[in-house]
Amino acid sequence: MAEIESDQLQRASLDETKVKNEDEEEEECILQFLDSLDAYLTLVDSLSSSLRQGWFDLASARQSMGHTCISSKLFDHKVHSASTTINIMELDADNPSDPKPQFSLSKWATTKENPSSEVPNNSNLRHRAPTGVLEDGEKSNGTQVSSVVSNDVSLQLDIQKERSKSLTIFGGLVSPKLRTAQVSFETALDKIVEIANARSSMLSSFSQLQLNKKSSS
Amino acid sequence: MYGFEALTFNINDGYLEAIVRGYRSGLLTAADYNNLCQCETLDDIKMHLTATEYGPYLQNEPSPLHTTTIVEKCTLKLVEEYKHMMCQATEPLSKFLEYITYGHMIDNVVLIVTGTLHERDVHELLEKCHPLGMFDSIASLAVAQNMRELYRLVLVDTPLAPYFSECITSEDLDDMNIEIMRNTLYKAYLEDFYKFCEKLGGATAEIMRDLLAFEADRRAVNITINSIGTELTRDDRKKLYSNFGLLYPYGHEELAVCEDIDQVRGAMEKYPPYQSIFAKLSYGESQMLDKAFYEEEVKRLCLAFEQQFHYGVFFAYMRLREQEIRNLMWISECVAQNQKTRVHDSVVFIF
Repeated sequence: MAEIESDQLQRASLDETKVKNEDEEEEECILQFLDSLDAYLTLVDSLSSSLRQGWFDLASARQSMGHTCISSKLFDHKVHSASTTINIMELDADNPSDPKPQFSLSKWATTKENPSSEVPNNSNLRHRAPTGVLEDGEKSNGTQVSSVVSNDVSLQLDIQKERSKSLTIFGGLVSPKLRTAQVSFETALDKIVEIANARSSMLSSFSQLQLNKKSSS
Repeated sequence: MYGFEALTFNINDGYLEAIVRGYRSGLLTAADYNNLCQCETLDDIKMHLTATEYGPYLQNEPSPLHTTTIVEKCTLKLVEEYKHMMCQATEPLSKFLEYITYGHMIDNVVLIVTGTLHERDVHELLEKCHPLGMFDSIASLAVAQNMRELYRLVLVDTPLAPYFSECITSEDLDDMNIEIMRNTLYKAYLEDFYKFCEKLGGATAEIMRDLLAFEADRRAVNITINSIGTELTRDDRKKLYSNFGLLYPYGHEELAVCEDIDQVRGAMEKYPPYQSIFAKLSYGESQMLDKAFYEEEVKRLCLAFEQQFHYGVFFAYMRLREQEIRNLMWISECVAQNQKTRVHDSVVFIF
């Protein structure tokens, strides 16, 4: 009798633990969903500010350079590849029936397509040299760091060149206000991708929450 | 002979000077701008402008209005006034009035050539051209592949032909070459206009010398700032500066080597008239520089009306109207974008 009672007690406590765990999971899902919703709303607000600033900077640039110099009539109709592309990856291997897409921007893609042009031939980053060469350990580490720094600087310069090149549709010498507008719109584009990721995360949390509710009921 | 213009000026040009002074009294006042800055929508702006001299040009425009419509209609008024003066003017005033439009002609040429390079339709581009800068063969600009053809096919028969001597190359037209062409043409135009005014002599020469020198100096500063961080070399930059003005030649030497806005400030602060302009800006800032230059220009243009019997009033009036149109464009943009708190960032009051 005592054994039966202790069994029952054990089962009851197990059930209680299970319910408690389920409740905790559900709460965690709700929190996750609310966090992702908050992040989404914050990003939407931030996007609105970036776009507002971008349009204002564009109006300032038009005031500075003249309304004929900054006009949609000057947009380039020649076919050319996009300087910025978006990559989509499907994540969440745990739940293949509910894939969570992840978006990322590849900005100024023409620069990044040719990384070999940025790395010098004697860089130790890409050179799998025999052991004898690597005996100058400190020197190779120092040159490794400096080559990483110089690669970053070179990449930044290339990106800056691409930015200036995209503005040449309005002329070779544009106002700094137009460059500021470009940066604002670039920031807005980053935010749009973040919003897409936040939305994906939010929808995934919501569907997880719904699944949990169904399983608990 | 300077000082004796009163004896002979009114014979040929007295009527038009009276006309332009009448036009000047129609410029918008600070009270008008205060009313406009409080508008909530573009229709409100249209309603306020209907009570001004712009009324007949805007009253029939349907809603919803666009900022470009307001600018176009206001520009139409300026063009009509200019044409009225032009058809009444005799030499040398008619030549002087023509010189005022060459800047717009240069802008139109660059617009057509740039648009054609970007495979845009010529008719679309012609709609965007400034009416004061139109000439008969402007549409033929779309045919030229390089500057030599541009000159030979079209511009040889226009008033811009003499300014092309430094531009003629067989290089293909690309965005940077077009920009260099624009600034080289403008440099030649300003220098030619300056020489013309010097030849006229008297009060016209004295007043226009100051106004054109300021224009040349402002262009030098803008070219410097806009070329920072671009592929334009120091030598090429220096070639775009005009060969007159307060900054010529030593200021130009310093501006040619500037790599950031603070170095530009350092070069300009050595000249008292520009020290006051840069004193309004904080270090590293260039956003308000345009407004500071426009304010200084407006001050000088208004002073031109203090003296009689010279042609400077015509130039001053045209420039003040253009400033007024810029103000209206800015106010319209701020109202359309719901940025009324920033409206005073770029409005320059004339009176």
